[in-house]
Amino acid sequence: MLRLVRWIWILLALHLTLGMIAYAHFHVTGRYSLLGWYFGGLGTLFFLVMTAAEFCLAIMCRSCFDSDEPMRLAWGMIACAALARLAGTLLRAISDGHLPWGDWHRLLQPSGSLFVSLSQLGLVVGGPISMAFLAVGLGRVLAIQRRFRLIGSLTRGDQALLILVVAFSISQLAINLPLLGKHPSLGTAVLWLSDPLLSLLLIEAILVRRSVLRMGQGLVAKCWGMFVLAILITTAGDAGIWADNHNFLSASMTALSWYIWFFAAAAFASAPAYQLAAISLTREAHEH
Amino acid sequence: MKLLERWKPRFWNDPLESIRETESGPEGATAAGLNDLQARLNHWSHLWGQEGEPALPSEAQELVARRLSRWMERCFGQHAQGTLRSEGNRISLASSTPIFTAFLGRRATRELSRRVLQDI
Repeated sequence: MLRLVRWIWILLALHLTLGMIAYAHFHVTGRYSLLGWYFGGLGTLFFLVMTAAEFCLAIMCRSCFDSDEPMRLAWGMIACAALARLAGTLLRAISDGHLPWGDWHRLLQPSGSLFVSLSQLGLVVGGPISMAFLAVGLGRVLAIQRRFRLIGSLTRGDQALLILVVAFSISQLAINLPLLGKHPSLGTAVLWLSDPLLSLLLIEAILVRRSVLRMGQGLVAKCWGMFVLAILITTAGDAGIWADNHNFLSASMTALSWYIWFFAAAAFASAPAYQLAAISLTREAHEH
Repeated sequence: MKLLERWKPRFWNDPLESIRETESGPEGATAAGLNDLQARLNHWSHLWGQEGEPALPSEAQELVARRLSRWMERCFGQHAQGTLRSEGNRISLASSTPIFTAFLGRRATRELSRRVLQDI
């Protein structure tokens, strides 16, 4: 199973190599054609492979626990989060017509007003819904870690980060809540929950990180460390989008910031692979 | 036992009466068999926990602790053992099983315990 982790990161390295070629082409020519093909085609395929792998591995992790064990629910929730991310990627790919197997999106456009487009439905499923599942799963893990007194006390840096995250969430809610009067679509309203949910995930990630630091470099610690890394990268990617929306980034920097999402996908897929590696170690290893 | 017999004062005075009436005692087992069972149970609880252990741990206990430490390091990390064990106590199956079960599952922990106790 550790080989699987290695493969995930080798695949990421190969994918990024191709990405850098596309980026160099964009940098030299100033044209988006190759970069667009890379992110729309190969990038989508990479996300689909990674989220599908994450989902399958999380389901395998879940099956390693009996029905009365608390970790079964945690892995079930993590599997649901991966499935939501997979469905979101698929919906967006179909909607934008990036998938190589035909353009079904014309047949699948939603007719109601709940979502602006199929792409928005994909964003909702792959964003806030996936985050909510992951938050419940990580919450469960934290409860178990707390039972074993694995969560250490927060440092001043952690506390400062927590205050910053909560303040950012409140400010975003303060901006968005008055807009409810303009009757936005359900999809738009749910998407406003992205920032508070990401903040909640970040808080959980900080607490999980504390426990990981207390444990060391074991396989289980690496599993939860990968979730922390993935959440931190997602936050950085979100910050990149925010900076781009406010014109703080140049065109080349914006293009470069898109690559960060591939790291998050690889980290999310590596987490259950590490857990499975720890479990399968008990079957493989021999005592001396 | 019939319901009416429960009203006898003798029954309430001697709580073991009902057991004596229904169960056959250990007389059926041979003394050698019982001694063997007792020895096995003592050996197992000696390896399992730390209650009532002698001041100097046996070689088998040392081996179990060493193997458990290695598993703890592989699965959780080099600092996990220090975080979990209470002060002065050596790691044992009794103290480490709950955390292994919580994070690896019951089946994997059973397999792990089997490996730890292998050849002992």
